[in-house]
Amino acid sequence: MTADALFSLLPLILLALTAVGLVLLIGFYRNLQLSFALAMGGLLLALVSLLPVAGVLPQQATPLLIMDSYALFFSGLTLVTALLLLPLCHEHWRRQTSLNDEFYLLFLLAVMGALVLVASNHFVSLFLGLELLSLPLVIMVGYPFKPGFTPSLEAAVKYLVLSGAASAMLLFGIALIYLHSGTLAFAPLEPGLIRLPGPQNPLLLTGLILALAGIAFKLSLVPFHFWTPDVYQGAPLPATALLATLAKGALFALLLRFYLLSEGYLIGPLVWALTLIAIASMLAGNLLALLQDNLKRLLAYSSIGHFGYLLVALLAVSQSLGTALAVEAVSYYLVAYLFSTLAAFAVLVRLSGEDREAETLEDCRGLFWRHPWLATTLTLAMLSLAGIPLTIGFVGKFYIFAAAVEESLWLVLLVVVIASGIGLFYYLRVILMMTHQDAGPESDEASAPHWSSHTVTGILVAATLWFGVYPAPLITLIRHLTLAVN
Amino acid sequence: MRELSAQLQPLWPLAAYFLAVLLLVLFILGVSHLLGERHRERATGEPFESGIVHIGDTHIRFSTPYFLMAILFVIFDLEAAFIYAYAISFRASGWTGYVEILVFILILLAALVYLWRLGGLDWGPKGQARKRLAPLQGHSRVLEGEAPPTRPNRE
Repeated sequence: MTADALFSLLPLILLALTAVGLVLLIGFYRNLQLSFALAMGGLLLALVSLLPVAGVLPQQATPLLIMDSYALFFSGLTLVTALLLLPLCHEHWRRQTSLNDEFYLLFLLAVMGALVLVASNHFVSLFLGLELLSLPLVIMVGYPFKPGFTPSLEAAVKYLVLSGAASAMLLFGIALIYLHSGTLAFAPLEPGLIRLPGPQNPLLLTGLILALAGIAFKLSLVPFHFWTPDVYQGAPLPATALLATLAKGALFALLLRFYLLSEGYLIGPLVWALTLIAIASMLAGNLLALLQDNLKRLLAYSSIGHFGYLLVALLAVSQSLGTALAVEAVSYYLVAYLFSTLAAFAVLVRLSGEDREAETLEDCRGLFWRHPWLATTLTLAMLSLAGIPLTIGFVGKFYIFAAAVEESLWLVLLVVVIASGIGLFYYLRVILMMTHQDAGPESDEASAPHWSSHTVTGILVAATLWFGVYPAPLITLIRHLTLAVN
Repeated sequence: MRELSAQLQPLWPLAAYFLAVLLLVLFILGVSHLLGERHRERATGEPFESGIVHIGDTHIRFSTPYFLMAILFVIFDLEAAFIYAYAISFRASGWTGYVEILVFILILLAALVYLWRLGGLDWGPKGQARKRLAPLQGHSRVLEGEAPPTRPNRE
């Protein structure tokens, strides 16, 4: 490995150093504020280190990781998400009396896993990153530790067992793909000069479908989505937010890279499976969200639907028209989804009290009269998730439409339209609930919020509006960075 | 029948030896029973521990946190396995390998320090170390049911 290749791993190395430092800090001097500051500092350093790293790209650092501009963009997105998420975690944990410093440590490890995922072009680093991401998540879902039974414990056990099963499926799938292709690196799966859709190797197909099932579980796509609402509801708010944003975003970036590098769009049955999963996810996610009166469950089903939309952009990749538009659509939609979801979770964290979390629709009743600023934030988040113009979510959805139209995916497009229509209803229901004039519950903000969570909420609102009204700079950035994926 | 006895023929010294051992043990026990002296003094009933008077009774309860031990074993055993793999390729991997294993071991060390600081290595009930029993001098009367004296606290 050359010095440049080692240097391109600087963000990962910095995060690892921060994590080790945090272990020692917690061991010798346990202070929540200090742990938070150290974790924030490490994440910031890693984000800043992307600037010098951008000068030496692309680098294949060991056979496992590739640092190209695609990895750079998604590393940046991961780190920005983490930086926005961590103050929300702090806002939540500083109200608790139990010892929660280790949450930040696990958070850093999960972010490292996400960084490995977005830079991976090898099945080994895929699995390594995925486990580094999901094992800390299991413990974070189980927080806080209390004697006796807690809902979070139930959620953690569910997540552990099901996530283990999904990993096993993924591994078996990888083994079968290896049997076919003879390499663990992502490479075109159909060798030969003329690649035409035709009769396929059944072992390869089985492997692909098994691997897809494993990944679909982690992304909670429809036939594998049953764990999502329960785990989202049981887990503490920061863990839910991490599960919904960072974990899924990084994994989808990886899925896109694998799909492109392995030329999965040439394998007919795989495309069909993806189409079915996309349609089922969009419909089931949005329909089931209608029945929820718990905001965490609602966001869980909404995330199922959103990853269905993202799969539509994935399906728009084709041999004839190139990959640029689809990659752009996925990247922009991911940014939109991450920012809007984070804004929604920010409001929930701010509304939560010391001993109970604000998670039901009732908690939002009359919010406009009690906390106009928070209510505006939640309104923006909901509008953006629904894809209303002037928010970032609209531009994202527009991209998905454009990509699908370009590729003439009429059936899928019809489902997108129907699902968006259904989605509008439950997103607007939340906003309607906030406008009720009769006084809601008195579980207001328990204590004055930390300045960092104020800042984060402000940044999220500004970004949601700014990139919705004037998306050109972000589009230019994405175009510039993600073209290198092939 | 004849074949069987022919097979057993070489084994008779073993049987004779076994019988001799049995007789010798019986002889020693019997003679010492007949000739040995009998007395009942104060410390006769106490077990002999190389001249040191025993302390406490044998029913000590050790705390064995199996879960913790299993976890610690798995963690450090697994990592020892990695270091074995490195030891085989020690010369081949050169200085790069040395630096890498050094980083690996340092991270392990940090984890060990963390465990130690958190009290993960303090097994046993809390405060047992302070209440260690004092060694007994002379006749202890522990066997008669008296509580053994404890060492005065150092703090």
